[in-house]
Amino acid sequence: MKRAILVIVTLVAFALAISACAPAAAPTTAPAAVATVPGATAAPTSVPVPAGATKVTFWHSQSGDVGGKVIPKMISDFNASQTKCFATATYQGSYDDALNKLKAGLQSGDIPTVMQLYDIGTKLMVDLKVATPMQDFIDKEKYDISGIEPNLLAYYTVNGKLQSMPFNSSNPMLYYNKDAFKAAGLDPNKPPRTFDEVEQYAQKLTKKDASGQVTQYGVSFAIYGWFFEQFLAVSGGYYTNNGNGRDSIATAATFNSPEGLAIVNWWKKMYDEGVEGNYGRNTTDTRNAFVAGKTAMIIESTAALTSLLDATQGKFGLGTGFYPRPNEDAYTKYGTIIGGASLWILNGRPQAEQDCGWQLVKFLSSPPEQAYWHISSGYYPTNKAGYDQQTDKDWRAKYPQFQTAIDQLHMAPNTRITQGGLIGVFPTARQTVEVAIESVLQGKATAKDALDKAASDVTQAIVQYNQTVK
Amino acid sequence: MPSSASAMPRPSRGARVRATKDFIRAMLFLLPSLVIFVLFVFWPLWQNLWLSTYATDPLGRPSVFVGLDQYQRLLTNPDFPNSLTVSVTFALLTVPMTLVVSLFLAILTNARLRGVSIFRIIFSYTIAVSSATASLIFLYLFNTATGPLDYFLTLLKLPTVNWLTSPATALPSVAITTMWLQLGLNTIILLAGMQGISDEFYESAKIDGAAFWDSFRHITLPLLSPTMFFLIVVDTLAALQTFTQVQVMTRGGPVQSTDVLVYAIYRQFYFNGNYGYAAAQATILFFVMLILTVIQFGVIERRVFYQ
Repeated sequence: MKRAILVIVTLVAFALAISACAPAAAPTTAPAAVATVPGATAAPTSVPVPAGATKVTFWHSQSGDVGGKVIPKMISDFNASQTKCFATATYQGSYDDALNKLKAGLQSGDIPTVMQLYDIGTKLMVDLKVATPMQDFIDKEKYDISGIEPNLLAYYTVNGKLQSMPFNSSNPMLYYNKDAFKAAGLDPNKPPRTFDEVEQYAQKLTKKDASGQVTQYGVSFAIYGWFFEQFLAVSGGYYTNNGNGRDSIATAATFNSPEGLAIVNWWKKMYDEGVEGNYGRNTTDTRNAFVAGKTAMIIESTAALTSLLDATQGKFGLGTGFYPRPNEDAYTKYGTIIGGASLWILNGRPQAEQDCGWQLVKFLSSPPEQAYWHISSGYYPTNKAGYDQQTDKDWRAKYPQFQTAIDQLHMAPNTRITQGGLIGVFPTARQTVEVAIESVLQGKATAKDALDKAASDVTQAIVQYNQTVK
Repeated sequence: MPSSASAMPRPSRGARVRATKDFIRAMLFLLPSLVIFVLFVFWPLWQNLWLSTYATDPLGRPSVFVGLDQYQRLLTNPDFPNSLTVSVTFALLTVPMTLVVSLFLAILTNARLRGVSIFRIIFSYTIAVSSATASLIFLYLFNTATGPLDYFLTLLKLPTVNWLTSPATALPSVAITTMWLQLGLNTIILLAGMQGISDEFYESAKIDGAAFWDSFRHITLPLLSPTMFFLIVVDTLAALQTFTQVQVMTRGGPVQSTDVLVYAIYRQFYFNGNYGYAAAQATILFFVMLILTVIQFGVIERRVFYQ
C-alpha cells in the first residue's frame, strides 16, 4: 500500500512537471489596439472575379494586421476603383520564403503577376531576368514618377532603369522609454545622437538589483545584419567595392573597414560594460524586452512604430530618435539606407495581365494609398504627396513619433553609400555578418578577425555568384 | 528415371520452375512498395548524388560539372566539421536522457493502479505536439526578458541564464526541447514493450524471493532490450535530422553553436543558393547515418536479448 502511494505521488509530480508548460505557455492577451487604423477593422470577404476582368495575382510578405487587414483593404479598394482588372493578394510567408517559392515557381510556371520582394533581392531579380523593368511601363505611358522619393528610386534603379516600384519603405531608428529616461535623470525629449552618447545614456539607464543582477539594460540591439549595414552607411562605409556595386558589379566585400570595426567595437564595449542586453538575432525578442521594460533603448525599423505604440500604450511613454551615428559630423555627410521592399512585375505572365499588374502598382503607390499605408503600418509614404493627405497630417499631429522616420529619410543625402550594397548574395552576407558579431560579443574573436573572416567569406560568395550569372 | 549419382543433388527442373514462379509472385507482392521506394527514396537519392557534382545557377539548375570539387570544399571549410560535431553532440545530449527518463515514466505507468491510464495519456501526449509548436512553447519559456524560467530563477535569487543567447547553453536548451518532444513516443513504446512481458516471469521471480530491483534488472531490462534498441536507433536518426527546433528557436546561432547538419544544409540550399554544395552535405549526412546505424546494429544489437 505504501508503495502504491509512493507511485501515485511520483506520477502526479511528473504529470505536473510535464504539463506545466501548457498553461504557462498560454499567450498573454494582446493589449487593446490603440493606434487602430481607420477602415481596417475586418478583412473583406473574397469576391468572385467579375466577368471580363483580367485576373492579377499579388504575392506579398506582410504578416500580422498589415498583411491580414491593410493589404486586403487596399486590394479591394483597387478592385472597386475600376472594372478591367481584378486583383487577389496572397501572403507567401517571409521575404525569404516568398523568394524561394518564386524560384520554384519559375520552373513550374506557378508565378504571380506582381510580387513584393525585399530590397536585398534586387540584384538577384535583375540577374534572373524574370521581371519586366518598371521603367518600360513608365516610359510607355510617360507616367510621372517625380512624386516618388528620390532615394527610393535610386535604390531600385539598376543598369540605368527603374526595375521595381518602391512599395513599403522603412529605415531603422532609436526607440526609447521616456519614463526610464526621467527616472535616470535624463531629458525624455533628448535622445542620444552619437555612439558615445548612446553609451553614456546606456550607463545611466542600466539598473541593477541588490545582488548585482541587471534588471534593466540601458540599450539592446538585436544581432541583425540590417542594423550593421545601416550603422555602416551612417558611418560613411561601403559594404562592397565598386561604389557598393553600383558603379560596376561588386567583386569584393569591404565592410571590414575602419568604419565597420568601429561599429562592432562600440557594440562589444557596451556589451562588456554590462549596459547592453543581448536578446539574440530575432528582433521580436529585443522588442518584447523593450516593451517589458527590460531594456530602456532599442533600435528597430520605423515600420515597427505602429505596433510599438500599441504595445507600450499605458505602460510607458515611447520616444523615437534618429539612428545613432559615430559623430555629429556624420549627420550632415551620410545617412540611412532605405529598407523594405518593392513591387516587381513578372515577365512570365501574359501581357494583358502585366498591364493590369502595372495598374495595381500605380494604384498602390498613389498618394492616398501611401498615406493610408503610412498610418496603418508605419512604413513611410513612397510618394511624397502622401504627406499632403489630410489623414496623414492628422495622424502625425497625433503621433509625432512618425516624424522622426520622415526627417531621417529626407536628411539622408542620395549617394552610393546611402543607396546601399548591390549584390546577389545578400541573405548569405547578412547571416555571415550576424555570426561575426555574435562571435565578437561572445569573446570568441576580435572585431578585426571576425570582420576580416566575414568579408572574405562574403567575397567568396560574391565571386561564385558572379560566375553563375555571367 | 535413372538419375545420375552426382555428388551435388541438383533441384529438379520442376523445382527450379517453381522457385522462379515463387520469386515472380513475391516480386509482384513487393511491387507496390518497391515502386514507392524507387520513386521517393532511391530516385531522389540518385538525383542528390548527381546534383552534388554540379555547380548551379541561382535557380538551382545544374550548370557546370565540378566533380568532387564541392566535397573537397566541404571538408576543408571549418563550418562543416563544426556542424558535424554539433549534430553528434546533440544526439549524445538527447538520446540517452530521453531513454532514461521515458524508461522511468514507463515503469511508473506500468503499475497496476486505478486511473493509471490518465497518467499514461499525460506522459505520452507530447506525441501529439508538433515540433514547431513545442519549439514555440520553449522559445517562450526560455526567453530571458519575459520567460517564466528566468523569472523563477530571479525569485529564488539565482543568477538568470541566457538560455538561447549564450553559445554554452543554446544547444542544451534545444536538446531539452527535443527531449520533451520525444518523451511521449518513447514512453508509449517502452510501456508497450513492458506490457508484452509475460507475468509468469515476475510471478516465478516473486516466488524465488526477488525484490523489485532484481526482477527489473534480470527480467524487465533483458526482455525490453529489443524495444530499447529500436528506440536508440530511431532516436539517434531523429536527433541527427533535427531541423524544426533549430529553425524556430536559434537559427543555428549564437556563433553557430546550434548549427546542426540539416539546418546547415537548409541554409546552403534555400538562402545561400548553393544547391550543389547542399546536396554534397546531404550525401555526407546520409553516409554518416548509414555508418552509425550499421555500428549500432553491429555493436548494440549483440547485447539485445530476443525472446
